[in-house]
Amino acid sequence: MRDQLLDVLKASSPPAAFDWLRERIAEQEAHFQRNAFYFAFSGVSRHFPKHDRIPDDLAEKVDASGKVPGFSIRGWDLFRLARVILLLTLAEQDQETCLTTLFAVLDTADVRERVAIYSASPLLPWPDHLRDTIIEGLRSNIVDVFDSIALNNPFPAAHFSEASWNQMVLKALFLSRPIYHIYNLEQRRNPALALAISELAHERWAAGRKLSSEAWRNCIGFIDDGIAKDLRHLLNTGESHDRQAAALVLAEDSNSLIPEDLRETLKEEIAAVADEKLSWQTLGEAITPLVVLNGSPTPSQSVKRS
Amino acid sequence: MKFLDSHVHMVSRTTDDYQRMAAAGVAAIIEPSFWQGQPRTEVGTFKDYFNTLIGFERFRASQFGIRHYCTIGLNPKEANHVKLADAVMELLPLYVCKEGVVGIGEIGFDDQTAAEEKYLRLQARIAVEANLPIQIHTPHRDKKKGTIRTMDVLEDAGVDPSMVVIDHNNEETVKMVLDRGYWTAFTIYPHTKLGTERMVEILREYGAERIIVDSAADWGISDALAVPKTAALMKERGIALDLVEQVTYRNPLLVYGQSGQIDERDWEGAEGIDPSALFEGNTLLRGGMDVATAMSQYLIIE
Repeated sequence: MRDQLLDVLKASSPPAAFDWLRERIAEQEAHFQRNAFYFAFSGVSRHFPKHDRIPDDLAEKVDASGKVPGFSIRGWDLFRLARVILLLTLAEQDQETCLTTLFAVLDTADVRERVAIYSASPLLPWPDHLRDTIIEGLRSNIVDVFDSIALNNPFPAAHFSEASWNQMVLKALFLSRPIYHIYNLEQRRNPALALAISELAHERWAAGRKLSSEAWRNCIGFIDDGIAKDLRHLLNTGESHDRQAAALVLAEDSNSLIPEDLRETLKEEIAAVADEKLSWQTLGEAITPLVVLNGSPTPSQSVKRS
Repeated sequence: MKFLDSHVHMVSRTTDDYQRMAAAGVAAIIEPSFWQGQPRTEVGTFKDYFNTLIGFERFRASQFGIRHYCTIGLNPKEANHVKLADAVMELLPLYVCKEGVVGIGEIGFDDQTAAEEKYLRLQARIAVEANLPIQIHTPHRDKKKGTIRTMDVLEDAGVDPSMVVIDHNNEETVKMVLDRGYWTAFTIYPHTKLGTERMVEILREYGAERIIVDSAADWGISDALAVPKTAALMKERGIALDLVEQVTYRNPLLVYGQSGQIDERDWEGAEGIDPSALFEGNTLLRGGMDVATAMSQYLIIE
């Protein structure tokens, strides 16, 4: 994986910056020194262009290689990629050295350094020793930090308890994050989460607020009388996305508690699901995410390759 | 028109301030490390404070479309707690080369003790090694002597005055600081420092070269809109707009830009709130009631 990431970085970076990183890696491999690692990790911001991102076509090649299912580098800036490569170099050290250094770096990490560490989590060894610190990271309200764990990262689905998983999904909804980017959302569905989604919806509706239509994806397979009523409510919110979400739930869930008239009302949308015109993916993409300014470079500033 | 407030302690301010600053055209801010009112007793609280400056506060500002930078350092008050000060000095190298750290600051003298001088000197050397600008706090008591002593120590440590902002100047210190080649900053802070009207007169007398206006708004009675308010009053009193922009935006960008960590491109053309658009929308610099309405307060800070 590291060599593949190095190739992407090389193709996206000024040669001087890339050479600087190669030298740091060579030093670390020849003779590991913790202080040198700290300075290299921070020093990325002194050598790489601050605003540049990986070109999408290169990112897609890495994602498509499928070496780590669910892992994606799409949209990453160069700081993040360079730092993840450094962390993969660190991971070649013994467990004690690697983890002690990693936690020390995290202890004084700025936002983008923190994002890099969490982004590297599915690629690092010893996940059992990382789990608690990853869960701690999700307590952040800094959207970039939260996203680096919750979205396009296979670590939570593979290593979280049900309670931690449910907290992550609920917080993603609180922060208006696009949950179709959460890896293995469907595989980790559970009745406790379905109930919590229903309760959250009631709270929002009582306050005259909305809940992302994507939320209902977590309820498939766990529909009781209460959630069946919620689905009916979705028809009356006046939001086409809510109707589509209800249809998506009905298309996948044949539970007999669901009143037949609901299926009848939504038959057009359910037909669209059968025709593959409507899916949780298309719904997620159609929902305009809340604009969250998060201190990172914006997509409009992505690097143009000649 | 947009502003860069190069000295403001946002950890002590509310989101109301952020909203009003964004609406008034503040595009970027620099938050110096300082004393927090309550003296610290553990080095860990310094670490978490520095982490806040490079972490949560940066995020908080970004939510309002304001870019947040900081200077890192051991402040002169707490330099007198020598055991703690030594521990903080060990932390500094971990922070000085972080992204968005535009200098070492705010450092200098408070009581003008030997301990204060020791840590000023040590931090000046870190700045020279890291090639970073320095942000200087000048003392409130015995200011003139303290300011001279600060410049002597810096020059003795091999610091180039063009890399230094001496802050909290007044009519008594401005000339000697300018004459020795330093960037000369003025803090518009009610009651204890400088008011907007005095600032207008200083600008008339000394021009705009190497002059900077900031708010130093913190946990005391202070004004997070001091920079846009001063700019509005300058305009109202007939100072050329170009000079106003120089002291409230371009000069701090020039001096702290020497760190390589702050660049107009960080906010120009970035997504989200466009402070300059809001600023024009509020017709802030067109004088009269509009200015007062947009900023909810009168322009004259006493």
